[in-house]
Amino acid sequence: MGLLLTYAKPYWKKIIVAVLSVTLLAASTLAQPQFLEKMMTAIIQDQSDVILKNGVFLLALAFVGIAAGITGTYYASQVSQGVAADIRRAEYEKIQAFSLQQVQSYSSANLVVRLTNDINQVQQLVMQMLQMVLRVPMMFLGAIILAIWTLPSLWWVVLLMIALIVLSSKRIFSMMGGYFGKIQQLIDQNNTLAQENLAGVRVVKSFNQQGQEEASFADNTNELTAVNRRIGYLFNLMFPIFMLISYAAIAAALLFISTSIKEAPDQLAKITPFITYLNQILMALLMLGMISTFASRGFVSLKRIGSVMAEETARLDKEAAGQPIDKAAFLTKGLRVEKLSFTYPKAKEPVLKDLSFELAAGQTLGIVGSTGSGKSTLALLLARLYQPTAGTMTIDGEDVQNIQASDWHQAVGIVMQKPVLFSGSIEKNLRMGNPDASQEELAAAVRAAQAEDFVQAYPDGLAHEISERSANLSGGQKQRLSLARALVKKPRLLILDDATSALDARSEKRVQEVLEKDFSKTTKVIIAEKIASIIHANQILVLDEGRIVGVGSHQDLLDQSPIYQEIYASQKGKGADHE
Amino acid sequence: MNKLKEAIAYFINYLKPYWKGLLVAAVFVLAGTYAQIKAPLYLGDAISALTKYVTAALTPGGHASLNDFYQALLAMVLFYLLSEIGLVLSGLVISRVSSDSVGQMRLGLFSNLQKKTIRYFDSHQDGKILSLFTSDLDNVFNAMNSAVFQIFSQGVLFLGIIWMMMEKSLTMALVTMALSPLAILVALLIVNKARKQIEQQQQATGDLNGYINEQLSGQAVLLAEGQQRASIDAFAPYNDKVRQASQKGQFYSGLLSPLMQGFSLLNLAIVIFFGSWLVLHNGMDKAAGLSLIVVFVTYSQQYFQPISQLTAIYNPLQLAITGANRIRDVEQKPNEVNDGKKVAGPLKDGVVLSHVDFAYQPERPILKDVSIDVKKGQMVALVGPTGSGKTTVMNLLNRFYDLTAGEITYDGTSLADFDLRSLRSRVGIVLQESVVFSKSIRDNIAYGKPDASQEEVEEAAKQANIHDFIMTLPQGYETMVTGADNLFSTGQKQLLSIARTILTNPDLLILDEATANVDTVTEEKIQRAMENVMKDRTSFVIAHRLKTILSADQIVVLKDGRVIEKGSHDQLIAQKGFYAELYYNQMVFD
Repeated sequence: MGLLLTYAKPYWKKIIVAVLSVTLLAASTLAQPQFLEKMMTAIIQDQSDVILKNGVFLLALAFVGIAAGITGTYYASQVSQGVAADIRRAEYEKIQAFSLQQVQSYSSANLVVRLTNDINQVQQLVMQMLQMVLRVPMMFLGAIILAIWTLPSLWWVVLLMIALIVLSSKRIFSMMGGYFGKIQQLIDQNNTLAQENLAGVRVVKSFNQQGQEEASFADNTNELTAVNRRIGYLFNLMFPIFMLISYAAIAAALLFISTSIKEAPDQLAKITPFITYLNQILMALLMLGMISTFASRGFVSLKRIGSVMAEETARLDKEAAGQPIDKAAFLTKGLRVEKLSFTYPKAKEPVLKDLSFELAAGQTLGIVGSTGSGKSTLALLLARLYQPTAGTMTIDGEDVQNIQASDWHQAVGIVMQKPVLFSGSIEKNLRMGNPDASQEELAAAVRAAQAEDFVQAYPDGLAHEISERSANLSGGQKQRLSLARALVKKPRLLILDDATSALDARSEKRVQEVLEKDFSKTTKVIIAEKIASIIHANQILVLDEGRIVGVGSHQDLLDQSPIYQEIYASQKGKGADHE
Repeated sequence: MNKLKEAIAYFINYLKPYWKGLLVAAVFVLAGTYAQIKAPLYLGDAISALTKYVTAALTPGGHASLNDFYQALLAMVLFYLLSEIGLVLSGLVISRVSSDSVGQMRLGLFSNLQKKTIRYFDSHQDGKILSLFTSDLDNVFNAMNSAVFQIFSQGVLFLGIIWMMMEKSLTMALVTMALSPLAILVALLIVNKARKQIEQQQQATGDLNGYINEQLSGQAVLLAEGQQRASIDAFAPYNDKVRQASQKGQFYSGLLSPLMQGFSLLNLAIVIFFGSWLVLHNGMDKAAGLSLIVVFVTYSQQYFQPISQLTAIYNPLQLAITGANRIRDVEQKPNEVNDGKKVAGPLKDGVVLSHVDFAYQPERPILKDVSIDVKKGQMVALVGPTGSGKTTVMNLLNRFYDLTAGEITYDGTSLADFDLRSLRSRVGIVLQESVVFSKSIRDNIAYGKPDASQEEVEEAAKQANIHDFIMTLPQGYETMVTGADNLFSTGQKQLLSIARTILTNPDLLILDEATANVDTVTEEKIQRAMENVMKDRTSFVIAHRLKTILSADQIVVLKDGRVIEKGSHDQLIAQKGFYAELYYNQMVFD
């Protein structure tokens, strides 16, 4: 709520106009029966001029109502969309300031929902608030007061009607409550069934199980139908019950008035306005019910956005992290990792435990290990996308936390296991880490990443557009381009996380050769599934369940490390021995 | 218009079985509406009687009686009661019909999908098909509940009120209706404008969501490349576009309700003003005059209700029409052809592919003149680079697709001559990416043979090397296999799906070896499970592991859709051709 107020503030003038307009519309609706009473009295008393005067008033009032309705809607939509766009932008900026860990702890899909769907709900909430939240309670209270003021002796009819409607709707809603939970569950099941059926369509068909699939889908659907039916029954009871209560109130009012009409004949003109107010109370009650279900959804969304906004931005560097670094002087001696541990938030066990190793400038470090041994996590730590839970990393003798993360990212290139490219031209993608790269530099990187053949095959070359989700590229092409992107940066430290897995052996070999020849001064960390990819590294780390279980050259490890031997043996069949 | 016709045909098709219920509902609606529009007349009578009573009571010597009043009041209560009873009864019938018919639509859609060709599923994203269930059917249900029947009941109410008003007073009826053509016109204009604006809004929102989605999914790269600022800068124009487009969309779509309320206000003002003037200047009796005004005040409110209701259901109705069209579209897509009559028996001789041509799209042939001869009990390894057509061969053996030219025979009989079910019951598949269902382990293994005994299931699990793992689970074979659960690794799912195939005891086996990285121990298990399932069976294997290829009776090398080499490992090595090169250069067999 506080969040909403903060972002609504700049719009306070428009909000006032919107609220005033809506109030005006409500007021003219409420005032009408008052004029009706005057007109009826005038008829009884034969006053033609009163009818003329009040008639003109009535018409003017209606026009005011129409104008107020239009103005109110206009400003309400201005405010609600403005507030929504502002919050969305602020939330997006906030997320851009998140660390990778924060993004992952929410999951990017979840953040997308919070930026789109939740903002939408909040926008609707603001719109509804401006259009209804003030109007409806005003109509409700106004109609109650005016009804009682019109015929004070019938106050009990008004209150009794409200009490009966509230009680009966409570009863019906509590009967429905159980069904709503049930229906959500059934719909989820129904979707799961359909989804699995689609995903497994080949299995379904080849096992001839269409019949079984239909039967279990039918079981669920029939249950769903039964619950839908019951909810429908209850819903259909609701409105007629409300109407009956209000008719009963009208009848009671008439009956009661007839007993005292002889003493107070002026009540005659007041009956119709009174009835109109009763109807307005009923309508307002119905709308109140609608709003409360609506608003509760909006507030849930507001809370979800609030939790993103309240997140503290995790710093990857010390506050004092100083002067920008000289890229040329970066990593001239070596990188040292000491007792590095990392635990994922909410996880019990650390994924990396007490890692210590050194890497001299210009050398290549290979990392191998089975899936789940923590290799990719180590890559992200080295790229300073994650913050270690314990331990230190020093570069050329300096604690890395003294270097701004953004400077670090300038000097360090990482190619991740799953290549990610963005829609837009190839060139735009390649330039991400180095906007000033020359055409020659781009071409060299493309060549080095073995992407030249297919890029040149496009008539528009580097200007070729990558489509959304890189749908127009194969896995191998994506890997080549994301490698090229890292190379354009001319990184001082290059981290490759299984970055050539989708390349054929020949291209992979060429990439290795180019990296050795043209990037000989670059310090490299190469994570690989295949031992063949790191066989020539100066040093190889063997990871197992988050610990270093072997360090040394290929030959050392073959002699000493049982795990390395096992990995090597399992790949031998695939031909690792030939490479 | 064609869209509307299709949608109507769809609804009629599913509502036809409920015609009796609908007829009953219609009768109740008619009766209820009649009572509903008649009741205000008695309210008017009651007021009139009360006025007369007061006048008589105030006139010296007048005889004042409330009898007329009581009678009118009783009639009013009775008619209101009747009208609500009619509404409740018709509502009950209608909720039953709409839930049941939408349930039938859901079932119909699902069972229609079961009959579609694999081509259909391969050419449509799962997400899009799924949205037929999650979004389109929902829209149809909402419209059924609110719109479809409301059109009828509100229409009846609208006409009924007009009729009643004309009965009571033609002049006043015309006055009450005078504004409505304008109101309807304005409403339609706004609805139309809103729809256009909302389309633009959705376009802009779609672009924005696409951008956000892409950026956030690639957040790791954005961070590694220091692109946060650039990402925000590029976000801004998308955001502003949404703001502008939505402000208009929201304005027009939000305008309808206050505007209709305003029109209703204006209409009431006119009715009151003109009615009062009429009563006074036509020298009407006061009691009759007051009653006239009361009646028309009530009618004019009721009269406007259908107009705003009908304009309000315009949008849900549009959505439902689109939804119905999409679903109908699926129903009209071609089904799997199954006109073969022969029943496939146990494999005796073998399977032969002769001069097979195949193309998914006519202009892009995938397989060209492929001939492979497999004797009973043999194992054929298909190897070749990505896109060479290996998977396509598999699609053809199970008749997921039909050939463009050539023939595949099973014991000499063309596959097309077999009944599809009987053929597929002889052919087993193990997919590269294993599929498991949210059922118990037992039901997953017994998927192809639901009536299998526990012993059979366990035997299959043992052969697939998964029995021991299952026994370590607290609930054993009754453990649920759910998609999101991490209980099962990729490798274990693979073993489960092998067990599933073993249980159906197929004569011909098609295996697509998994390339997913699994740990060394599981890989060993999978290898042995594969050997078990292939033992004594005729099989086609899309092979990725050298070990598998080496143990094949026949290796078929595919490249660009053609068989370029065929023979045993030793023969092919001796040929010094493509295979030999692959083998020596250690090209990845992907």
